Amino acid sequence: MRLTQSLLSPVGKMTKLYSNLPESYIKRAMEKGKVGWKTPRAVQYQPKEIKKKHYRFTMNRPWTDEFARQNQVSRKKVYVKPIPKWSYFRGDMVEVLVGKDKGKQGTVSQVIEERNWVVVEGLNAHYRLVGKTAQYPGTMIASEAPLLVDDHVALLDPADNKPCTIEWRYNESGERVRVSTRSGRIIPTPTQAEETYDYKTAATYRESERDTKEDDLTIISFKPQLSTFEMDVAESMGIELGPPPSETHWY
Amino acid sequence: MLLPIPTSLVSYAQCRALHTSASLLGKRNFRKFLLGPKAGTLAFKNERAKEVSFRKKFPDIDIPDYGTRPTGAHRLGDSTFITVPEMIPELVVPDLTDFNLKPYVSYRCPEVVQEEFTARDLFNAVYSDKITADFERGALTEGGQPREPSAEEALTPESARQRARGVHTDIWEK
Repeated sequence: MRLTQSLLSPVGKMTKLYSNLPESYIKRAMEKGKVGWKTPRAVQYQPKEIKKKHYRFTMNRPWTDEFARQNQVSRKKVYVKPIPKWSYFRGDMVEVLVGKDKGKQGTVSQVIEERNWVVVEGLNAHYRLVGKTAQYPGTMIASEAPLLVDDHVALLDPADNKPCTIEWRYNESGERVRVSTRSGRIIPTPTQAEETYDYKTAATYRESERDTKEDDLTIISFKPQLSTFEMDVAESMGIELGPPPSETHWY
Repeated sequence: MLLPIPTSLVSYAQCRALHTSASLLGKRNFRKFLLGPKAGTLAFKNERAKEVSFRKKFPDIDIPDYGTRPTGAHRLGDSTFITVPEMIPELVVPDLTDFNLKPYVSYRCPEVVQEEFTARDLFNAVYSDKITADFERGALTEGGQPREPSAEEALTPESARQRARGVHTDIWEK
């Protein structure tokens, strides 16, 4: 069941990895915007749901309220090119190929796999004033527009820092790596790719008092014994084993 | 040829009345509909249920208790409620000193893979040492049975079963 859920789920793998949220929660939170009406769960009602056919993925993450609000309105379906192997990670250096920032290179700050989008930090941005009042002119912030993967951005070849096409190949140790087709150089996966909402890297995760530590987790305190669970409990509680009860028979 | 219309067939009492407003006039069968969130504590709802005006207006509304278990009972033929101490659930919480397992697991921990502990593994854990030691010093018979069986090796299926059934409860002990 879990395999089909992950195959049929519209949410991309990169999104789920970054969120660190359980899939059931993401599904439940998304349905706030999709499910129009559900019949109450009672004997006199047939279980029926009126819901939208597809989600429209936006810059807001699928479990947010803004996403649910945006999906309450019905909009035309967006057709997205299926990409079998996703090749763009957070922290990758890419070059922008279209728009007013054409030719500039930047770092990927956000990956939205469901729309084949990549947000490059500082590039392809429009500027807007936030918090403008009569007294205060407002803070200008750059809001980057997303760029389509494969068409609008390209990964850089480490040999000459120029845009290139890539392929996934296996290296000597058997790991799958991205390789530039032009020069054959391996494009390393950036460390930022490992980042999730909870940590920058798993090794630097800040443990809280409710986290089990590695030393406590790896202790095996199980001692195999020839006794049932009841006998173990009796032994620990100091209850002595008595004579067995008389045999019972079914007629 | 015109047939005479019998006036006795049509009676004005059987004619349907004309409704100038909506046909059901807001009357709904509330037994069919689920009333939304049932707000208020059980105590509040019980108090409201006693009010005659409320019972007359909503004769079909039931007081939901969501399956809370009572901690006593009403005296027979009386409305006084007697609390029975034995019905109050006693939460048995084990002593957690020196217990270092927490509700969550740190992301720094490596993935621990533990295979299923089968009956074969239990056999190996309990009997394998003695069997190998016996084999090396030649204390096994032709058929592989031990000449000096230990307590575990001397167990038969019936005696093991009887031993397991010998666990009694100590609730009734003084």
